[in-house]
Amino acid sequence: MTIQQESPTTVFGSVAELLYRLVGDADIVGIEITPESTFHEDLGLESIDLVTFAGILTEHFGLDVNLANFLAEKDLDEVIGLRVGDIADFVSDRLAERE
Amino acid sequence: MPTMTVNGLQTNVQLIPGGGKETVVFLHGMGTDSLASFYLTLAPPIAAAGVDVISYDLRGHGKTERPARGYTLGDFVADLHDLLSQLDVDQPVHLVGNSFGGTLAYSYAAAHPERVRSIVCIEAEPATELWADKMTQILDHTVRFLQEEESYNWIEANFGSHHRRLARLAADRIMSTSMAEEVPLGPLLSLEDIAKIDCPVLCILGSHGFQSDDLEALSNLLPRGELHVFDGQGHSVLVEQHRNVRHLLLDWIGRHVK
Repeated sequence: MTIQQESPTTVFGSVAELLYRLVGDADIVGIEITPESTFHEDLGLESIDLVTFAGILTEHFGLDVNLANFLAEKDLDEVIGLRVGDIADFVSDRLAERE
Repeated sequence: MPTMTVNGLQTNVQLIPGGGKETVVFLHGMGTDSLASFYLTLAPPIAAAGVDVISYDLRGHGKTERPARGYTLGDFVADLHDLLSQLDVDQPVHLVGNSFGGTLAYSYAAAHPERVRSIVCIEAEPATELWADKMTQILDHTVRFLQEEESYNWIEANFGSHHRRLARLAADRIMSTSMAEEVPLGPLLSLEDIAKIDCPVLCILGSHGFQSDDLEALSNLLPRGELHVFDGQGHSVLVEQHRNVRHLLLDWIGRHVK
């Protein structure tokens, strides 16, 4: 499936939904995913989960939404502190470039 | 992909097609490491340079199966050989290894010289007796350190909660397997074995890394060895210098991909 356009709010909702799918509802009972939620600290995920999530994003949004390319430009501290909102912003930017 | 059975183990494999000129295989380090350390840093720009990229989680790491035993270098070499066979990679490959992944690259090149076009090793040394002694000491120390609850408090106080979780992860991997016991067993390479690795090799070291006692020894021993040292840098070259390592690797690929 390839998405052409989504509002930022919808994009965040889609990213959060895909994250719930990644970690499995049972693992994050009681944790609400917000734009401020950090991938590693708050959601308890590892860098290898980012790789898996990159594949999920590409499958959902299209090949040009390449999280690995985006993160390759970041420093380690930025990757460790990556927020769900950062991922949603990245996706929104990539979708906007299609217009 | 991303899961395939390699040498009998469910193995997490990530492929990035880059045009098929030649193939680079990334080999990550031991303990807390996984294919992510390359996939999220060097793999995208290398693929963009026109080279197919293979990265995978070594046995016992990341999302690859973790057997209780089977962690000699011979096991890791057999995994890589089976992976390349299953992926029908019949041309020699460029191996890029970080720390233990570089040790694996040297062992693979010694065992299968016809399958290796070049090697780039980041803070890595071949599996010599000296290496085995060093690894035994490091792993013994690590096991003892990670058995103490106070160690995790110290790690969090000095490096933050992310590193505390990584330490827990490493402890789980090392203590639930024979990794610490088997990895130093080799099979080990003699200096003569290393001198026979005649493909081009780039040794990337930190001046304060694990080979700081003699930075030039390895590259001088290798017939076609080259050396790049990051001054003032410790063992974490890939993490702390990944942009500079990217430039070195892109230059290397430019020079050695036909």
